[in-house]
Amino acid sequence: MQHSKYLIIGSSHAALEAVAAIRMQDPDGSLTLITRDKHLPYSPTVLPYVVSGRSQPDNINLKDQAYFDLHAIEFIPGRKVEKIEPENHCVILDNGQQWQYDKLLLATGASPLIPPISGLDQTEFLVLRTLEDAIALRQASSQAKKAIVLGAGLVGMHGAENLAEAGLDVTVVEMQTQVLPGYFDPQAAGLIESAFSQHGVTMKMGHRAVRIEQQDNGCQVELENGETLEADLLLVSTGVKPVTDYCAGSGIETDQGILVDDHMATNQTDIWAAGDVTQAGDFYSNAQVVTGILPDAVEQGRIAGMAMSEDPCLKSYNGGIPINTYTFYGQQAISVGVSDLSTGTLADCSEVELSVDTDNGFFQKIIFKDNQLQGISGINAALDPGIMWQLILRRIDLADDKADFVAKPLETGRRLMSRTWR
Amino acid sequence: MTTIEKAITPDIDDSHYQSKTLVCDGNEAAAWGVALARPDVMAIYPITPQSSLVEYLSQFVAEGIIDAELMNVEGEHSVMSALQGAALAGARTYTATCGPGLAFMFEPYIRTPGLRLPMVASLVTRDTLTPQCVWGGHQDAMLVKEAGWIQMYCETVQEVLDTTTMAFRIGEHPDVMLPVNVNSDGNYLSYGATGIQLPAAPLVDAFMGEKNVNWHAALDPERPMAIDPLTGGAGGPGPSMFANYRKSQCDGMQNALRVIEETHKDWGDRIGRYYSPLVEEYRLDDADYALVTIGSMTGAAKDAVDLARDQGEAVGIIKIKTFRPFPVEAINRALSKVKAIGVVDRSVNFGWNCGPVYQETLAAAQRLQRFLPSASFIGGLAGSDITVEHFSQVIEDTAQLLKGHHYDEPIWINRND
Amino acid sequence: MALGYNTITFNPDKCDGCGDCMRACSQAKAGTDDPVHSRIQILANETPSTGEQQSPIEMAMCRQCGDPKCVSNCPAAALSKDLSSGTIDWDSSKCVNCLLCTVGCAFGGITYNVEVGHVTKCDTCDGNPACVKVCPHGALEYNTSGSVYTRIGDKEDLFVPGLSACQGCNSELLIRHTLRNVGSNVVVATPPGCIPGMGTVGYNGKTGTKVPVFHPLLTNTASMLAGIKKQYNRVGRDVTMLALAGDGGVGDVGFQSLSGAAERNEQQLFMCVDNEGYMNTGMQSSGSTPAGSWTSTTPVGKEMQGKRTDAKNMARIMMMHNCEYVATASLSFMDDYYDKLDKALAASKRGFAYLHVYAPCPTGWRFPAAETIEVCRKQVESNFVTLWEFTPDQGLQFTRSVDKPAPLADYLKQIGKYRHLNQDQIDHLQRRVDNQVKSLKAFEQTSAVS
Ligand SMILES: Cc1cc2nc3c(=O)[nH]c(=O)nc-3n(C[C@H](O)[C@H](O)[C@H](O)COP(=O)(O)OP(=O)(O)OC[C@H]3O[C@@H](n4cnc5c(N)ncnc54)[C@H](O)[C@@H]3O)c2cc1C
Repeated sequence: MQHSKYLIIGSSHAALEAVAAIRMQDPDGSLTLITRDKHLPYSPTVLPYVVSGRSQPDNINLKDQAYFDLHAIEFIPGRKVEKIEPENHCVILDNGQQWQYDKLLLATGASPLIPPISGLDQTEFLVLRTLEDAIALRQASSQAKKAIVLGAGLVGMHGAENLAEAGLDVTVVEMQTQVLPGYFDPQAAGLIESAFSQHGVTMKMGHRAVRIEQQDNGCQVELENGETLEADLLLVSTGVKPVTDYCAGSGIETDQGILVDDHMATNQTDIWAAGDVTQAGDFYSNAQVVTGILPDAVEQGRIAGMAMSEDPCLKSYNGGIPINTYTFYGQQAISVGVSDLSTGTLADCSEVELSVDTDNGFFQKIIFKDNQLQGISGINAALDPGIMWQLILRRIDLADDKADFVAKPLETGRRLMSRTWR
Repeated sequence: MTTIEKAITPDIDDSHYQSKTLVCDGNEAAAWGVALARPDVMAIYPITPQSSLVEYLSQFVAEGIIDAELMNVEGEHSVMSALQGAALAGARTYTATCGPGLAFMFEPYIRTPGLRLPMVASLVTRDTLTPQCVWGGHQDAMLVKEAGWIQMYCETVQEVLDTTTMAFRIGEHPDVMLPVNVNSDGNYLSYGATGIQLPAAPLVDAFMGEKNVNWHAALDPERPMAIDPLTGGAGGPGPSMFANYRKSQCDGMQNALRVIEETHKDWGDRIGRYYSPLVEEYRLDDADYALVTIGSMTGAAKDAVDLARDQGEAVGIIKIKTFRPFPVEAINRALSKVKAIGVVDRSVNFGWNCGPVYQETLAAAQRLQRFLPSASFIGGLAGSDITVEHFSQVIEDTAQLLKGHHYDEPIWINRND
Repeated sequence: MALGYNTITFNPDKCDGCGDCMRACSQAKAGTDDPVHSRIQILANETPSTGEQQSPIEMAMCRQCGDPKCVSNCPAAALSKDLSSGTIDWDSSKCVNCLLCTVGCAFGGITYNVEVGHVTKCDTCDGNPACVKVCPHGALEYNTSGSVYTRIGDKEDLFVPGLSACQGCNSELLIRHTLRNVGSNVVVATPPGCIPGMGTVGYNGKTGTKVPVFHPLLTNTASMLAGIKKQYNRVGRDVTMLALAGDGGVGDVGFQSLSGAAERNEQQLFMCVDNEGYMNTGMQSSGSTPAGSWTSTTPVGKEMQGKRTDAKNMARIMMMHNCEYVATASLSFMDDYYDKLDKALAASKRGFAYLHVYAPCPTGWRFPAAETIEVCRKQVESNFVTLWEFTPDQGLQFTRSVDKPAPLADYLKQIGKYRHLNQDQIDHLQRRVDNQVKSLKAFEQTSAVS
């Protein structure tokens, strides 16, 4: 049986950040990274750019073997964890190999959620989560003419833009009435939508696909209203779900994701979880939420790594905040924190500062509560999202600076942060 | 100068085994003694009556007779300090001083024996201030007799040269490892010129042997160690460590008695001049009483004794050469031959109201376990001359002891000059 | 693992918001004055809403973090920390414009530039930052102490662990750094004082130092080293002589030997660790104790309010010896210190080098141990001590500007030994400081002319 002091499952953002944190504190303790992916670590977020051709598959590695050698890390790609036995401090891989750990981190991320649409399971479709997916989609986009994208979340929107730019005739089908729900309010979403429309993408918002059928050279998608769409490429991007199958029978508590406390510890001794796989504390409420965004995976990964290596500087997780930076057709959409009061719990006592210039594609929305920033979203508005995130997390009192902040959020934010750091 | 220069070059040529005759005073003789010992580092600061000695040294360095680092430092305190440093780096070191210079040097001076650093420092003895005075006397050397330096007093200019060279070998002996003062009387020896023999350098080189001055302690990156960590206190290993350091220092001092004798003997065998290394007995074997002398006064004392002998007085001389370590056995061997002594000092012991040599001699004599009538004579202060006439009086006064006379007070010579 | 690097530092108290730095940066990076291209942003001379002058001025730029979140957040491996220079490099060929890096940065240090269509950030102009060069007020500095620490950190600490200095001791820090840099081909002299007191020479047969070390007397450090050096020269070995002495062993009872050695241009590096008194033995006053200081021999009472006379300026006295090299230093300016240490070491091969390092003492001066470096900094920033160097050829040159000093009172009030000072005493010290600076400046001018 193999043994590693620190055993990390996954090799993406959460895992790599945990590794860095552990190595800060414990440069020598044996450390092993096991991932089911066959490649050197890369980020799912870069995949749309692999599809578009902007990024080359061999040029996207987040770490290379030299890094692992330098830090005495054993990197084992192409191996899937199948089972965990917390009572034995043991992990069992798909080849039957057993690994004993002192401390275990589960950073297995998420995988595409395949909606239960009738006929989908008999239809050829594509998803985008792995490098293989991206290469397949790129391949397909060069041969197909017509594409249907199911779901107008981040993955779908990226996919749609890529496919449209590749010359395909693209239709986006979204069950909800707007794109990117949770990050932008309907008005901002409308601006984004219209950019897509202007670039020839058909945006079918508020439409549910009810049946899908495989055809000779493509598929047919039937919508709730009876309308049918045909395409020779179907991209399913209806969200993600944490990868937790291997937790079955282990006693690790899961809900939508693996439940963790504010040090990313699971309910089982010596097992932590971080990143897309978790369901962790929310910043705004007492709920446990699945955030599924990269900055959170990094944040959680670092906390887990610090906890595992008993770093005395360990601080608690502040709770997840939705954050999104999204570039579409050369425009920037940024959203930090609450963006839409109609869906949240803040409605009653919040203050909203809105500024919109539709002609110039400008949108800016700032939400305060008790003189604290709750959220800021913008399109083509200059913002430092990192500073905004800190202003929210630190609950910085803006009573004296509110007017300045509303007038010039970029400069005022920088000034406030500069002062805070000093 | 050139012939003499040749005399100390290492070229081995028969002619170089011949000693040379030269006429010089005690300060120059000391400088020749130093030259023959081939020091590495000399640090100097001038002071009367030593000044011409360091002038000779400087001259010798300037002319290449001495191949050594010469440090013209800003005071005697630094003289001793620089030499300690040099010795800790492995150098054979030398200086000379006296009187107020010695007093200023005192702080580092008392540290050299504890560091067990062999070193030679000539004391061209001088009386101490105040009254203001620049002339000879033994008060300076007597003040530092408890500092842990070996002290040898010379009688003649020739002895100054020979003893200076020998002193290096004595101090560096592994059983000793202590600094040595070669004391020569200011004025009388320092400036008194006479003909002397300069030994041939190759003979002296053979006599000196291998140089190894800091085998026990070094400030050397190639053998790093801490020199003189804090030691002692009331707990832990400190108190016993300190006591053992002190004890071994005392052992070194006692070993010096043997080493001084051996060295003088070897010098005599190689160079042809023998001295009484610790105590010289002069016309003592059939003496009833004796004078105890130290240093250059002994010449006049011997003349006076010869005169007294001519008149039938059974008087002799016990001359002390080695004062530190005090040669108790040798002194007592001499004292046991006589029934009374008169001790002549060129300095005073204030608290005991006598001379220090007197006091030390009596301390040794108590081990004879018999009463030895004695008198303390104090003379030759501040350069004053203890003449043959003075000594004749000393002999007369000492003879009174045999008749049961007793002196409550020291007898002051020169008081009525 | 932890590595230190050179950094651009910003002192808002010295910034008047002139914007020269931003123009210089825009010019360097985009060939224009348009501040949109500047990777350093000096923030708002005025409050947008009221038009009032903001004080102090704030600044946003890349801090070249040690654990950069921009790098962690980059999905495309376009950002990386260069382990040799410490800068965070941006690779345009890999960047996908996702802006996730800007989510990671809490400083506004990496930002999207609409004009060029991608993020930009400070690259420190390859270690020669344009902004620093043009700053007319010294508000921006290029601080190299980080990289110095890295360089020195790789070298062996030649003192043993567990020296028993007081908490927060500046001197222990200093000697450890110093000996690391000097290396092992050295003989170290530590006359009685805090440095041997903390166990460097050791106790009862044990040593605290891995190189040859000894206790000279308080009075003879320079002379002993001179003697050692003479012998090594004689046998043809090049060994460094290093004195680590307190101010008493330097300027009071040690002064004669020091002055003599300087006059003879003995080849040694003599370092004065100035804690303004005899701190090791219970904080008695020395010639280096400033006027007004409480010490155990200049107490505060009805008839006496601390030391009645001014300190002597030993560094200046040593300059008057025309030594091979003389400099003052403070541990709050490590890069400056190391620079001077290197020069002093080199000078000590030719002759006498004197380094005067100011060493605030938490125990003796009565300030919290955690504030040592801050007190060091305030000493310098108030001109209470000044940083300069001297060589016979170059004369005196300040290594840190003495213009725009902070008020001396700010420095004094941090320190317990000055707590009792009345306004007259504070004024006296301020005058003294001003006069010292004036006269040093006169020396500086003399050197500039000659
Ligand atoms: C197309 C796309 C675009 C995105 N764009 C953005 C964006 O713009 N902004 C943003 O914030 N986020 C974006 N995301 C989400 C972001 O990529 C994720 O939040 C982030 O990658 C989560 O990192 P993680 O380490 O938690 O998990 P993942 O990145 O999902 O990594 C999981 C790791 O676990 C391994 N693994 C899984 N199961 C097993 C097993 N059983 N055994 C062994 N190994 C296993 C995998 O091989 C992988 O290495 C995007 C995602 C996609 C797919």
